[in-house]
Amino acid sequence: MLTAPGIHGDRVPMRDLSRDEVDFCIVGAGAGGGVLGAKLAEAGFAVVILDAGPHWDPTRDFVSDESGSRHLFWTDERITGGADPVELGSNNSGRGVGGSTVHYSMIAMRAHPDDFRRRSLEGEIAGAELRDWPITFDDLEPYYDEVEDALRIAGPTFYPWGRRRRRYPQREHELNASARVLVYGCSALGIPAAPAPVATLSAPWRDRPPCVYRGFCNYGCTTNAKSSVLVTFIPRAIAAGAEVRPECMVAQVAHDTRGRVTGVVYFRGDDTTTRHFQRARNVAVCGYAIETPRLLLNSATSMFPDGLANSSGLVGRCFMVHAGHQVFARFDERINQYKAPPGLALTEHFNRTIPDTRFVCGYTIEAVGPHPVDFASRATTARGLWGPELRRLMIDYNHYAGIGIVGEVLSQRTNHVRLDVRERDRFGLPLPHIDFSFHENDRRLVHHALAQMRSIMHAAGGTDLWNADRTAHLLGTCRMGRDPGDSVVDGDCRAHDVPNLFICDGSVFPSGTAVNPSLTIEAIAARTADQIKHAARREL
Amino acid sequence: MSEGGSNPPRSPYEDYDVLEKWHSPDWDEPTREVVRRRLEAIPSLRFFTADEARLLDAIVERIIPQPDRRGAERVAIVPWIDEKLFHDWRDGYRYEDVPPLREAWRLGLTAVDATARHQHGRAFADLDAPSQDEVLRAIQRGDAPGEVWSHLPADRFFRDVLCLTVVKVYYAHPSAWSEIGYSGPSSPRGHVRNWMGGVDPWDAPDPP
Repeated sequence: MLTAPGIHGDRVPMRDLSRDEVDFCIVGAGAGGGVLGAKLAEAGFAVVILDAGPHWDPTRDFVSDESGSRHLFWTDERITGGADPVELGSNNSGRGVGGSTVHYSMIAMRAHPDDFRRRSLEGEIAGAELRDWPITFDDLEPYYDEVEDALRIAGPTFYPWGRRRRRYPQREHELNASARVLVYGCSALGIPAAPAPVATLSAPWRDRPPCVYRGFCNYGCTTNAKSSVLVTFIPRAIAAGAEVRPECMVAQVAHDTRGRVTGVVYFRGDDTTTRHFQRARNVAVCGYAIETPRLLLNSATSMFPDGLANSSGLVGRCFMVHAGHQVFARFDERINQYKAPPGLALTEHFNRTIPDTRFVCGYTIEAVGPHPVDFASRATTARGLWGPELRRLMIDYNHYAGIGIVGEVLSQRTNHVRLDVRERDRFGLPLPHIDFSFHENDRRLVHHALAQMRSIMHAAGGTDLWNADRTAHLLGTCRMGRDPGDSVVDGDCRAHDVPNLFICDGSVFPSGTAVNPSLTIEAIAARTADQIKHAARREL
Repeated sequence: MSEGGSNPPRSPYEDYDVLEKWHSPDWDEPTREVVRRRLEAIPSLRFFTADEARLLDAIVERIIPQPDRRGAERVAIVPWIDEKLFHDWRDGYRYEDVPPLREAWRLGLTAVDATARHQHGRAFADLDAPSQDEVLRAIQRGDAPGEVWSHLPADRFFRDVLCLTVVKVYYAHPSAWSEIGYSGPSSPRGHVRNWMGGVDPWDAPDPP
């Protein structure tokens, strides 16, 4: 019997499945893999979840310090290019059990019915690949309910946008100053704004206390108030008999002569030479929109020369992010933007195709709250400040508030993740090379959003405004669809080419949506688990 | 906000020292461990040559000038950059037009000196401060002379390699936290007065 870190500094017993042929080998223990693994284990399947990083102990591994938290992020080299190269690492890439949910901002939004019908609604747009999803909002709605319950989302009694919904499991959090700035500014302009639904407890829940507003949410929660996958679905998976095996870098998904996957080849810990093999009847790749296509492309064989599950040529293609542009402003009152979760208020007023503009799709505006290292980094990269000027700006750190967007970018075939054959990581695996350029539609959307955000900041009483160009999240690269020639997986996340291979993470998004993606990834994973259960029952 | 001038600002939080909270409920042991190392275990140089370190010291003094601090009060920056490069700790991404981390730093330092010699006929470290700033501004604009810059885009090096790294080291230091009135570590106590104008007893007090 193995043990795994519990969430209170304890150890919990865990099965050892390394010598078994498991029913499901899941690669990646984040929002996709953690939820999928827990639900499949609870359904009685033998499940092992591998993750490239450690299994965190929140009482020892998380600190109240920005630069002391670099171990939480994916810091292996990736090459970033294109006209608008995406900042990776601590910006959007997690490492370790819980994945990016360990350091996400916890904003738990649902996509909207229109998000699943982008092609039908907007038609064809030159240079972009708008697609309807093979699933609808109705398909996902019960799973949004399910994961909101599991994560005990704290949200407002009345949420003004989207389909009418039931109450959130917990009451909303009191707004911090940055959130109030957004609400005041919006109110002055007649724009509706609301407390954000967030995945941190506002009341005790089982063995976890409510949030104490320490504000280091993006660096791991030391008190377990934050409903990451690490403290919710992972303990469920282990209790149901799954093995969570950390520090396993999967190099290849193996297959037999019939073209069915048979397990995964992986390296363990710092040993870069010994190749281990985990036998599995099914494999689910859940490594997020860069590592997932990288693994499939690295799994090329003579039978699958362009990579596994890639007969469409779409693995790695149509890589998307969210426009994450921000506006900061100075206020006479103390803001203390380091306090409490960073995104406690938002407006979805512009999350729709806006009449009389020259772009389609929309954006959400949310409060943000960087700590000093992050704030100073934005000031120097966005404004080119250094020397006494930078130190003078930073003196006003406590008086700055910021807001930023989650803006939909259009899917483009030329934005892609490919293998860089010239450079390899310590395991000898080719590095991922990411190309990204905004579409003209994206630029117009950002232009509109920056103008709106500046109006809001002025209306709230802010002065000394400045913008920071950013992106957030990683999506696309293995999109779901009905046509095997035009997508990688079907609506149940099963690869068109390989019947016992699943992909279940942000990679499967055919379009970006304009909301934070974690809840949708989790809802898709919860639904995928149920679809697998139903299919297994049919086969009996 | 006052504009211009070459002196760093006076901190409005002069009586605030974040380290006085070391034994308070705001600092848990894992955080103390991390910050203790930052304060006490400043590493010796293992990556840069003595000449490179002297040059980088001069550059860093322009990016984060500390004329207001003497001797041990000064926040050490170069040793931490050296440590990062010695261990080759990457950041999770590299722009396609920039060479790998160590190579980028070595090339960049060589190129800064080359630009200084081209513009002013002397090594960067031997120039006066206004001339040094002139060199750095040319690099920031991406129009610095010097053959080396053809292998490394000057503006990209200045912004995404040099400034970003230096700034991240400085604002990770408790002296910088005290200077800007940042409350710092906050586990397990957290925060209570989170509204506009709200100041907890453990926050930096408002300036008189």
